[in-house]
Amino acid sequence: MGLKSADYWSSRRYLYLFVGPAILSLVLIVILPTIFLWYVSFTSYDLGMGWEKRAFVGLRNFYFLISGQDREFWPSVVVSLKYMVISTIIEFILGFAIAILFNRKMIGKRLWMSCLLVPLTVTPAVVALMWKLMYNTEYGVINYILGFLGISVNWLSSSMALISVIIVDVWQWTPFVALILYAGLQALPQEPYEASMVDGASSLQVFRYITLPMMRPMITIAILLRSIDALKVFDTVYGLTQGGPGNATELLSLHIYRLGFQHTGWIGRSSAAAIVLLLLTTALSTYLLKALRRDYKAGEGI
Amino acid sequence: MRMLIAFLVALTVIFCLFPFIWMVMTSFKTRILAIDPSVWIFKPTFENYLAVFTRRNLAMYIKNSVVVVVFTTLLSMLLAVFAAYGFARFRFKRKEDLAFWVLSLRMLPAMSVVIPFFLLGRFLHLLDTHILLIIVYMSFNIPFAIWMMRGFIEEIPRELEEAAWVDGCTLFQGVVKVVFPLVMPGLAATAIFIVIQSWNEFALALFLTSFAARTVPTTITFFLSVMGVIWGEMASVGVITTLPVLLFALFVQKYLIRGLTFGAIKS
Repeated sequence: MGLKSADYWSSRRYLYLFVGPAILSLVLIVILPTIFLWYVSFTSYDLGMGWEKRAFVGLRNFYFLISGQDREFWPSVVVSLKYMVISTIIEFILGFAIAILFNRKMIGKRLWMSCLLVPLTVTPAVVALMWKLMYNTEYGVINYILGFLGISVNWLSSSMALISVIIVDVWQWTPFVALILYAGLQALPQEPYEASMVDGASSLQVFRYITLPMMRPMITIAILLRSIDALKVFDTVYGLTQGGPGNATELLSLHIYRLGFQHTGWIGRSSAAAIVLLLLTTALSTYLLKALRRDYKAGEGI
Repeated sequence: MRMLIAFLVALTVIFCLFPFIWMVMTSFKTRILAIDPSVWIFKPTFENYLAVFTRRNLAMYIKNSVVVVVFTTLLSMLLAVFAAYGFARFRFKRKEDLAFWVLSLRMLPAMSVVIPFFLLGRFLHLLDTHILLIIVYMSFNIPFAIWMMRGFIEEIPRELEEAAWVDGCTLFQGVVKVVFPLVMPGLAATAIFIVIQSWNEFALALFLTSFAARTVPTTITFFLSVMGVIWGEMASVGVITTLPVLLFALFVQKYLIRGLTFGAIKS
């Protein structure tokens, strides 16, 4: 009994057979292109020239970006970080509030919770245009409703555009955070709460010392996914503002597009900016995944 | 208190649904009505839906999307299901490190992946083909599928397979006869998630296709230049794009949290 298991599940040959093809494919379609991206970022390649005309320029593309010769580079990094931090914080707080709101007995709960699925299934590119219609200053439905209060907002003006794209992110992803945290609340064991009742702890103390620590893995996952996806977002912002007006919503991902694909065609410089984005997301995801692994060491799950 | 709860629930539901409902309403409005937000009750027209199929060639883009989605899903599932089994069952050194490396690939920004693939596509004359898009889409779907299915396989007791071996099954027979039937719902859910993610993808499709292989989400760019003229048509494209995804999402509602967290949370 089970003796043979030692053979099969520790056999190298079978392991390579099972895991090999997928890992090999990932190396081919992810690692090699990434190495190629690094290479291009050290060249002067430009969409208008032949590949053989490229020159090796060392770190000049990176110098062009960080020295301030490219006036839009640093602002785009700041806009990206602003977008990430603000949207993640709002989504987390709102999502937690909605999770707590639904964490009780109520009539028709399943139906109400199904409504939360709608925002996260709508194609992000479509979401962008949906909101573009609603944001319109003259005939958008948002200003029409605000009109009853005597307010009219110029949503896509340079002072408001960043707030407007963050609102769209919040609309699309708050339900996602809420669903994750709701799952966490539902899975909490009862005993610690009964014990704290006996000890006469206040509800705030219970939340801080019992609920939050036990929810840690869920909280980490929600923050991990939202912050990284916000850092690399492209579709909704492109559809809503294309980085404008001016460069009010030009995130780093849109700056890459502008350098490489719009007007200029500077693929070398654009690749250098893409490397910066890659390093930012890698640093953040490495840090958060480490935290996640720590959280899960204790519990089950990952 | 109960009134307050009811009010807050209503507010949440309206906040989630309203933009989508507004888009559905706009898609049934005539061109004049589409720019009049004070009209909420009207006689619906189907002219926008007709127009996007006759004038904007939507059927072709839907066909492209379907081709890309089907092949991406099949290939990703085929490669990932065996790798997932390997991660779930085998004992080997640095297994978790390798698994987390795979997971970190899901975090890659599309805008970093797009440049090398754009250049490779240019050199190999693969730009604007289904094949290029399918290959790129596998890059984020394989890591997702490996993690998702690993969780499902780990839930099947190992003893079932060991018992099958005692009865004379080989490793492969055990996988096919014992594990696969039990994880079928999980495999189906994983496949549906890949369908949704590939169907919705925008950035890569925008830069790697131009006309012949263009997918549905990228058609929103038609509506970026001619501002404020054809909102009705835009909304109907939006509805057509979203409906299949909504239906699929209802199918996998039970596994939704799991899918969105790549199998980390098993609710």
